[in-house]
Amino acid sequence: MASSGVGARGRFLPGDPRTSEPYRLTPQTALRVAVLAFLALGVFAVLFLRLWALQVLSGDRYLAQANDNRVRTLYLEAQRGPILDRNGKVLVENVPGTRLELWPADLPKTWKAQLTELQAISKVTGTSVSGMVAQLKEHGSDPLTPIVVQRGLRQDQIDYLEERAAQFPGVQTQDSFLRKYPYQSLAAQVLGYVGQISEQEYKQKKKAGYQPTDSIGQAGVESEYDTYLRGKNGTAQLTVDSLGRPKGPATLVTQASPGEALRLTLNIGLQRAAEQALRYGISLAHTGIEGKYADGGAIVAMDPRNGAILAMASYPTYQPSIYVGHADAQKLAPLIDLKAAAAANYPGINRAIDATYPPGSVFKPVTALAAMQAGIVHPFDQILCSPDFKDHGQTFLNWTPLIDQWIDLPTALAMSCDTYFYELGKRFYDLPAYQGHQLQGWATRFGLGELTGVDLSPEAKGLIPTPEYLRQRYPASKGYGVLDRTWKPGYSIQMAIGQGQVLVTPLQMTRLYAMIANGGKLVTPHLADDVELTGSNSQPARVLRRFGAQPAQPSGVDPTALRYVQQGLEEATHASFGTGVGVFGSFPVNIAGKTGSAEKNVTLPGDRYPQNLTQSWWCGYGPYLSPTITVCAVIENGGHGGTAAAPAALRVFEQYFKKTANVTQHASD
Amino acid sequence: MAIEAVDTRARGLRNRREAEVVGLGGVLRRLDWILLLALAGVVGYGLWAIDGITRHDPGGSAAPRQGLYAAVGVLLFIAALFVDPDTYRRFRRPIYFGTLGIMVFVLAAGAATRGSHRWINLGFFTFQPSEFGKVLFVLVLAGFLADRARSISAPEVPLGALGYGLVPIALVFVQPDIGTALVYTAALAAVLFVAGVRWSHLVVLITLTVVFALAVLWLLPAAGVNVLKPYQAARLTGFTHPSTDPQGATYNLRQSITAVGAGGLRGRGIVGATQTRLNYLPEHATDFAFASLAEEHGFFGASILLLLYLLVVWRALKIVAGARDLYCAIVAGGIAFMFLFQVFVNSAMTMGIAPITGIPLPFVSVGGSSMITNFLAIGILQAIYLRRPARRFS
Repeated sequence: MASSGVGARGRFLPGDPRTSEPYRLTPQTALRVAVLAFLALGVFAVLFLRLWALQVLSGDRYLAQANDNRVRTLYLEAQRGPILDRNGKVLVENVPGTRLELWPADLPKTWKAQLTELQAISKVTGTSVSGMVAQLKEHGSDPLTPIVVQRGLRQDQIDYLEERAAQFPGVQTQDSFLRKYPYQSLAAQVLGYVGQISEQEYKQKKKAGYQPTDSIGQAGVESEYDTYLRGKNGTAQLTVDSLGRPKGPATLVTQASPGEALRLTLNIGLQRAAEQALRYGISLAHTGIEGKYADGGAIVAMDPRNGAILAMASYPTYQPSIYVGHADAQKLAPLIDLKAAAAANYPGINRAIDATYPPGSVFKPVTALAAMQAGIVHPFDQILCSPDFKDHGQTFLNWTPLIDQWIDLPTALAMSCDTYFYELGKRFYDLPAYQGHQLQGWATRFGLGELTGVDLSPEAKGLIPTPEYLRQRYPASKGYGVLDRTWKPGYSIQMAIGQGQVLVTPLQMTRLYAMIANGGKLVTPHLADDVELTGSNSQPARVLRRFGAQPAQPSGVDPTALRYVQQGLEEATHASFGTGVGVFGSFPVNIAGKTGSAEKNVTLPGDRYPQNLTQSWWCGYGPYLSPTITVCAVIENGGHGGTAAAPAALRVFEQYFKKTANVTQHASD
Repeated sequence: MAIEAVDTRARGLRNRREAEVVGLGGVLRRLDWILLLALAGVVGYGLWAIDGITRHDPGGSAAPRQGLYAAVGVLLFIAALFVDPDTYRRFRRPIYFGTLGIMVFVLAAGAATRGSHRWINLGFFTFQPSEFGKVLFVLVLAGFLADRARSISAPEVPLGALGYGLVPIALVFVQPDIGTALVYTAALAAVLFVAGVRWSHLVVLITLTVVFALAVLWLLPAAGVNVLKPYQAARLTGFTHPSTDPQGATYNLRQSITAVGAGGLRGRGIVGATQTRLNYLPEHATDFAFASLAEEHGFFGASILLLLYLLVVWRALKIVAGARDLYCAIVAGGIAFMFLFQVFVNSAMTMGIAPITGIPLPFVSVGGSSMITNFLAIGILQAIYLRRPARRFS
């Protein structure tokens, strides 16, 4: 081509470029025009193919997309079911509210305009801009589902937003419901609270029918029984333009169906008494030197026959209503901010199930039962209760030096004689290896160091240490010495009085004393009684599903051995030498129970070094011969059990039996 | 006279040119009627389509206004018929510098008012010099190259044209109007190509352009130098990964593809086209007019428009081949390619196979400057065709 081009050009005379040069279409130019023509054909071929691919081959898909664009599915919030106490008193109910939604697809497209709008929204509603930005960022990929940025708008705020809808593209208000707590902070940690579903929760629960605008139980029974309480959202469809402005009214597709009522085993009167008792116990602790740092605690009251929890108090506590509607960051801080929580001594923690303490003397029934089962002691064996106990050059002190006499097992329990149990601990240590770890084995069988299976979370397991545990916990590979890993006689001796590394939750102890009370059966603690449809005035409530009690498991303990422990516990509150007689001795109902004063290394808030503080315990049950209630009370850093925990527990019994006692003196240990 | 003495073909040429006295009758007789019909088809179809596209917009249908611009365009088209293309060649320097002057003025005025740097407001009409500049740009560069036809293989010639061309391209680029700058670049490439610049030089130029584009879009930003603002770069590269950022840079693109696809074979009609009517498709009257048309009138409707465009391009290339001299050929080639480029980039961008740039769809997108300029361009094509020599190479 090029050579013929040169030849063609050669036929022309050199010309003057200013005149109109003789011109012909050279083959070279012709080639280039042809190239352009092919290019044009190629270009149009590409356009036609793409058009065909989009419109004809995938037309249906895009048509569906275009329709999705235009039709918004609105979720009509279902009214959440109420929560009732065992007598039908309403603990949590709903009030109507209005929620504020952002539809990402309809928000301004530029970041700057979006921010301006968010700031305007914030001015009207007080919702934090950074919060909304964070939610939008988290929401990310799905512009066609709304984000709820606030619940509980006021009427004037709603009016403002609706009148100026054009200034707020992508903003919608929807009917909603807010939780209301008629008893304020009562049973706060048990009830839990309701909050906006997080992106993460939504992703996990999408399949279960949760919507991104849903509220969801975040703690307590609100979370545990969310599937029953939440009801079923309705849906409506709305045609909108690109600014999210509705084109006509929404059409209802499915009606929302309200959630079911949850009836708890709690007795709100007893719950109130338990919470007051806790505060009373703490104030009692403050009067003594050992209890001056008392700042928290828990009380559990349970029916020993079936595990129904009658009251579950944890202190400090909070008002669940601060989670409702317009959340106040300052009020919420103790619940969500680690530092603020530490300063307020963790009000969000349910200490009854999620805090662990050394049990101290309330553990002694376990030692007594295990020792009888292992055959290392007979209940009538006389063992010297001395001021101290020596072993391998170590001295273990009794809680009181003012004693030196031979006593049997029930008396040892009643007096809470440490040296008696040190001797048992020593005997456990001396058991031949083939007998296993009897003490730990029975403690575990009684539910210590294990989850209780209560229908609440999170639950702490506690700890019943064993030689195997030590080896695992302090491996040589991490530089621990052989001494760290060796189970020493002192460990068994300490453990016999519930010290050392033993850790339990108040609920575990309640379950243990319920077992003692009911003749050796381990119940499963539970809070939910049933879910039901609340009846209207004339119709009774219809129970949809009964949770109730699960069958109690036999612990395998010998009933005769149990009798001696029961006797010891009864003497503890009634015999002249009992540690609880001053508190329970005059109570008209026969209560049996045990004090505990457990030493624990505690670093108080603001302190740099831990100090040895005493945890005040009392666990027991009544009436002695046919028990219907088990109570465990623990006052953190509250000093001796008889000083703080026992009087607090008495208050619960007083409310339960509607009788009062005449407290004469404060027992010790 | 001297020429005729030595070259009879030149003599014949002169005679024929004298015969081309452009009376009205001659004009009508020698016009490219197919091109004229194609033009009428595109304009009419475009006006009808834009009426449907803009009917639900807050301002109402843009068709009457577009019709008015078309009428102005027709006048300019007719005027162009009577101007011998040589005139542009002779006055190419005043045209070139005059255009540059106006572009600088627009930039300066825009900077002073902190507004956009593209328009001059004439009251009844916002005049966009860079649109008109497209055609003038081709006329000027074609003159430069045609004057140096005999030394076209020397590297100075394409380099000189490049120097001439890059100044207005840069001015448009900083307005900022990347789309129009690309059209200018395409026109520059087309005139160099038709003028006969050596293939090896073309290859070097193309390579340089690709390297430059890569540098601006990827290498320099990676090195921390941002020639383009991030949103510009995002728009240019967004089409390669449309689902990355559905709310941001690629929102328009996603909505546009949805609109085109939803149109299906027969279209959703003017009322049923929700992407357009409910304003999900932004800029549906201007940059994304093709998507809107495809949504409302479907594959059939969009194909009709594309076929009409193809007809225009085909006739334009015929005119290149039949031009009376190299200058006319280069001008026609430049216009033809520029037209093809705009059609392609605009419609391809709405379908997600080209970068998103603000290039209007010829004769369809709402906008006076573009409409009038395109009429002028086709008018110049017709003027060239009118002055074609007798068929010698058929």
